[in-house]
Amino acid sequence: MTRFSSGFHSQFIRPSLLSRRQRRILSFYLFVSPWLIGFIALQVIPLVLAILTSLTNYDGLNFENLKFIGLENYARALRDPDVKFSFGRTIAWLFANLPTWMILSFALALILNQNIKGRGLFRTLYYLPSIVPGAAAIISWKIILDKNNGLLNGLISLWRPGTAIGWLSDYALAGMTAIAVWTGLGAGMVIFLAGLQGIPDELVEAAKIDGAKGWQIFRYITLPLMTPVIFFQLIMGLIGSFSQLNLPLLLVNVGLTGSGAVPSREIYLYMIHAYYQIFTSRRYGYGTALLWILFVAVIILTAIIFWSSRYWVYSEQPDEGEKQ
Amino acid sequence: MTFLDLQTRGLIQKRMNTFLGYFILILVTILISIPIVALLLGSLKQDPDLVAYPIRILPSRWMWSNYIQVFQMTPFLKVAARTFFLAFTCSTIVTFISGLVGFAFARYRVPGSAPLFSIIIGMLIVPGIVTLIPQFLVYARLKLTGTYWPWYLGALMGSPYFIFLFRQFFLTFPRELEEAAEVDGCGPFRIFTQIFLPNAKPVIAVVMFFAFLGIWGDYLTPLIYLNDNNTLLGVKMATGFKNPQGITLTTISLAANVYYVLPMVIVFAIAQRYILKGVITSGLKG
Repeated sequence: MTRFSSGFHSQFIRPSLLSRRQRRILSFYLFVSPWLIGFIALQVIPLVLAILTSLTNYDGLNFENLKFIGLENYARALRDPDVKFSFGRTIAWLFANLPTWMILSFALALILNQNIKGRGLFRTLYYLPSIVPGAAAIISWKIILDKNNGLLNGLISLWRPGTAIGWLSDYALAGMTAIAVWTGLGAGMVIFLAGLQGIPDELVEAAKIDGAKGWQIFRYITLPLMTPVIFFQLIMGLIGSFSQLNLPLLLVNVGLTGSGAVPSREIYLYMIHAYYQIFTSRRYGYGTALLWILFVAVIILTAIIFWSSRYWVYSEQPDEGEKQ
Repeated sequence: MTFLDLQTRGLIQKRMNTFLGYFILILVTILISIPIVALLLGSLKQDPDLVAYPIRILPSRWMWSNYIQVFQMTPFLKVAARTFFLAFTCSTIVTFISGLVGFAFARYRVPGSAPLFSIIIGMLIVPGIVTLIPQFLVYARLKLTGTYWPWYLGALMGSPYFIFLFRQFFLTFPRELEEAAEVDGCGPFRIFTQIFLPNAKPVIAVVMFFAFLGIWGDYLTPLIYLNDNNTLLGVKMATGFKNPQGITLTTISLAANVYYVLPMVIVFAIAQRYILKGVITSGLKG
């Protein structure tokens, strides 16, 4: 197999002209070039153009009267009552979704971390919703939660006839949280579980010998050792909740009987507002300004959590060298 | 005496805990399956069953024919074939490129490699939506909306998440492997394709799975880039299929949704051990 390979690399790189080190540098940059070029062309440049766009009145067509309007779009965002409203809804969504998801997936991981038969099976079952495509997940949930024809209201109606609770309209925040937790529970649990299994048994055994009870072991051993995982999940959950667009958009666009549903103000999240500005109203300049405001808000919040982490996240200094 | 008492008490306590644990686990299993069962039952109903009052949990007639009608009355197969082709080609490309880049980051420590890797790590926490809309504005300007170019160009650059997975896996490979090959005069690209890739089957499986699912299950990207003639399954599933008179075929669309989800579930069931390992690697060590 390797007999034919000798001449391959010398096509570009002549061993005689370049030192081994230079050849290695060249190979490295050759290999990462697809990503590096893509990163610059498909991510950095569009983001820079998006900053520039946010300073103009661009609507996709108006090249003849394209104007540089400075920070006007940003000033307008601060005056826009819908921005304020949708930001409030996003915060409400964050507080509904993030703690529910984290506590439930952590609790499940704690149960599965015990010496339980069939652990692998439960782990697989709980992860399953994560691989159900969004559209199919929303359709399935609409069968249950639809206001007029949903199974849940139908069941309640057997007992209290005529029940029509708007699980996905008046209480859409609750409905959407249920769907999001259903989708993300397994993924969160798998990561918490891996963290729990990294806690050395000797620590727990030693504490037991010292007479520690279940709750004390959790409070003084498990919880502190899990703070790095909690920290990681918190950051990812925060960013995910702030940039949530797919779920509310699907909830608006997918109707059980195909007609599409009425958009609920309950889940008029910030990203939904930005999405409508860009794709429905074609206010590209204003819409990209909204995106940048969100981006900065998320960075500030993430930075705050990172800063706070030194007060509550356990870090194991001496073992640093063992990590990959 | 007291010692024994403590022991029996401990035993009873342990039994109770296990029992309670199983109780919760089974309860959660039931709760999690409700939407899936609702979809399956719905797909076997007739449309009037869905709006019946009082409700019908079970179909009035079990419409197994819905699963055949999907192919006769809707363009499901055509859209599925189109989506499969795009998802398969793009996930193959993205897997190969991510492997190559991951290999470079695992095996080369040259000036600039460390900062570039921190960019990869940084991009792991940037959600796709942040770049999606700016990218859309550029593609729209280049008149590439309505085509599949955004998918192919995106695949050609690899993905930070997959690059990271490959790098972590390749770090565990022993150096002797490639040193022996180098002595034989094997170039770095050949080392990658003939030594590293063939030994990375578990990671390739995980990356292929998630890359495929990312396109197959996507709703937002086809929604903003494509039109009704060339759109993908995600959008079609969300809107549902209509008959020539414009009336939505609800339960037949639900059966189509079952066909939509099933392949992913089967592949996941087969490869779940590797897939969950991949989730953990990218999640914990990120």
